[in-house]
Amino acid sequence: MEFGWSEGDRKFRQDLAKFLEEALPEDWEEVSKDGPGSDAQAAFSKEFSGKLAERGWLTQHWPSEYGGSDAPPWRHAILSEAMWACGEPRGPQYMNVNWIGPAIMEYGSEAQKSEHLSRISRGDVLWCQGFSEPNAGSDLVSLTTRAEPRGDDYLVNGQKIWTSYCQNADFCFLLVRTNPQERRHRGISVLLMPMDLAGVEVREIDAVIGDRYFHEVFLTDVVVPKSCRLGPENEGWAITSYALQFERVGAPRYARAALTVDLLAENAAAGGRLADPNLQEKLGHARALCEAARVLHYRVIDQRTHGLPPSADSNVARIAGTMADLAVGELALEIWGSESLVYGSVGDSNFRASMSAGIATGTTEVNLNLIAQRLLGLPRE
Amino acid sequence: MDFELNTDQTAILEAVETLLARQAGPERARELNAKGGYDAELDAALEAAGFTELVQGNDTGPLEATLVLEAVARHAGFVAYGATALVAPASGHTLAGPVALALAEENGPVRYGASARTLLIFDSQGVRMRPLEPGEAKPVRANFGYPMAWVPRDGGDRLSPDVALRMRAWSRVALAAEAAGTMKAALDFTIAYVKQRKQFGRAIGSFQALQHRLAQAAVQVEGSRWLAYEAAWSNAPNEAAAVAAAYAASATQRVFYETHQQNGAIGFTREHDLHVWSMRLQALRLEMEGVAGHQRAVSRARWIRAEA
Ligand SMILES: Cc1cc2nc3c(=O)[nH]c(=O)nc-3n(C[C@H](O)[C@H](O)[C@H](O)COP(=O)(O)OP(=O)(O)OC[C@H]3O[C@@H](n4cnc5c(N)ncnc54)[C@H](O)[C@@H]3O)c2cc1C
Repeated sequence: MEFGWSEGDRKFRQDLAKFLEEALPEDWEEVSKDGPGSDAQAAFSKEFSGKLAERGWLTQHWPSEYGGSDAPPWRHAILSEAMWACGEPRGPQYMNVNWIGPAIMEYGSEAQKSEHLSRISRGDVLWCQGFSEPNAGSDLVSLTTRAEPRGDDYLVNGQKIWTSYCQNADFCFLLVRTNPQERRHRGISVLLMPMDLAGVEVREIDAVIGDRYFHEVFLTDVVVPKSCRLGPENEGWAITSYALQFERVGAPRYARAALTVDLLAENAAAGGRLADPNLQEKLGHARALCEAARVLHYRVIDQRTHGLPPSADSNVARIAGTMADLAVGELALEIWGSESLVYGSVGDSNFRASMSAGIATGTTEVNLNLIAQRLLGLPRE
Repeated sequence: MDFELNTDQTAILEAVETLLARQAGPERARELNAKGGYDAELDAALEAAGFTELVQGNDTGPLEATLVLEAVARHAGFVAYGATALVAPASGHTLAGPVALALAEENGPVRYGASARTLLIFDSQGVRMRPLEPGEAKPVRANFGYPMAWVPRDGGDRLSPDVALRMRAWSRVALAAEAAGTMKAALDFTIAYVKQRKQFGRAIGSFQALQHRLAQAAVQVEGSRWLAYEAAWSNAPNEAAAVAAAYAASATQRVFYETHQQNGAIGFTREHDLHVWSMRLQALRLEMEGVAGHQRAVSRARWIRAEA
């Protein structure tokens, strides 16, 4: 057990910081105020991820045969941390490099690999995640979007909801039911669906967490070639589980939260308020929550580095991250006071970003269920 | 970066676990609680096996001592291992052990005070080392799982402010590790209990309302443990030490509440093991300025930087 960074990791962190200073525009705060899904950020992400790719950083953790450089998971974790801390300039492309690409590497045909992996590693393609449905949230396996075989194609009908990033997406990692007789986990398939097919309709859902966050995707008689199916028919659940096994720590929200706490402290210091012991306690508490989330995330990265199978430790990290995010979101409102009531202000942006921490990509309760069963060995209800 | 134990660490932990399984544990703690004593035999065994010299060792350091401290706490050891093996070495002096810690500006009794031969008294200017003669400390009845005593807070040799700061940071790392081990044991005990206790025809541990709260507590225990290890490996920087202590000390509150709540009435009896760990959590929560003090120390170390 040791907690030091290698020389290479340290240098990478420095190089990255230098790169970010140059690569982020002057008005980055304005561009990023609506989160990675906004039109402005999606557009910027292609330019930015392209630059990361040029330096070999975008997919450095991928195997070299797929455009990576076999870098250890730590390198990618350092990158993810830096990206989230500054508001995710990769936009939605963090999903591509974290789990969509790796799923295609594992299950894709040669044609799919050559089509998608090269584009992803160049940084000029946007994906969205078509999982949730109106009646399939936490209980995702109850999804009913139907893909019926029609010769060389599937005819897809159904509806997805809460889909982030899809207004600008080129492709959707879509979960469909290919066998309606099979219940639950069986009978689900993955389609790598181009978003420009006829019958795909995207509608924005007005939401208080910000503009351009949520969408519905209506699928009406969409003809999707069978060649777009990832892996064997009806095996989609296993593919999705494989793809998402580490994604609970894929978006290090604590990094953003920690930066916000620093900002709060600097702000308080500038206003001469940092001598207030009460404020010191609140800031110290928030910092401790962020640090706990960080070390618990690192633990999962370490398990991945050791080639250990995914465990409930990733749920533990996720809960710690959510706790930090929520606490900092609230503290930001409190410290900035009524100034936070302005849309796009620092307090407001942080609060909106933190609000959904316990829901997006699996709720707090679902994570707690998994910890209770898998880590604590408690019996099912 | 490597979260797995190396071979040396594994060997150390296996050895100390074996020793503790034989010489510590809830039975022994209950016996010593009743007598109000100190486990001189365990202390001697830890020393004989070299566990009190880990900080100064050639191939070992504070991280190994912290791993041992967590284990001692999990086994409810009745020894001042943290203050003696982790905090005292930072003084640069060889102090007669056991060592106890006190704050000058507080009046309450301190852990292991009556058995300590050296008292480290932290005050606003730093720290003083004060030998304790037999009889100088006065044991007092206390219900918080450790032998407590009134100690004199005058006199002693003052160490340099830098050294004092280092020792203060190590006291926070030690506190976090000790809290982590104590919480882990209380939580594990409770998990085992809710799996076998049946009400309404089923194990109470199958109720989701209880499961979620135990799972939350487990997150805080894990966070405390890893923050303590990381701070120890990094040589107790002021900020990381304060972060570990702030996080762990505030976690004790929740773990205390959840473990007692889920053990029901029997959890309050001396016959049931829970109190051996749970009551200690309150003492740890208050130690060295308590949660709020550690939180302020985080702020000072990170954003004010004057001292911590
Ligand atoms: C910001 C954001 C972005 C998102 N982006 C996407 C996206 O891009 N693509 C996509 O497919 N989806 C996306 N989602 C949807 C997200 O995955 C779902 O919201 C999530 O899985 C929960 O489903 P639900 O909202 O239907 O809540 P429900 O499942 O209806 O849950 C409601 C409440 O009930 C609780 N609950 C449910 N089951 C249990 C149980 N067994 N035990 C205890 N409590 C339970 C939940 O924890 C929650 O508190 C996004 C969501 C958010 C907030």
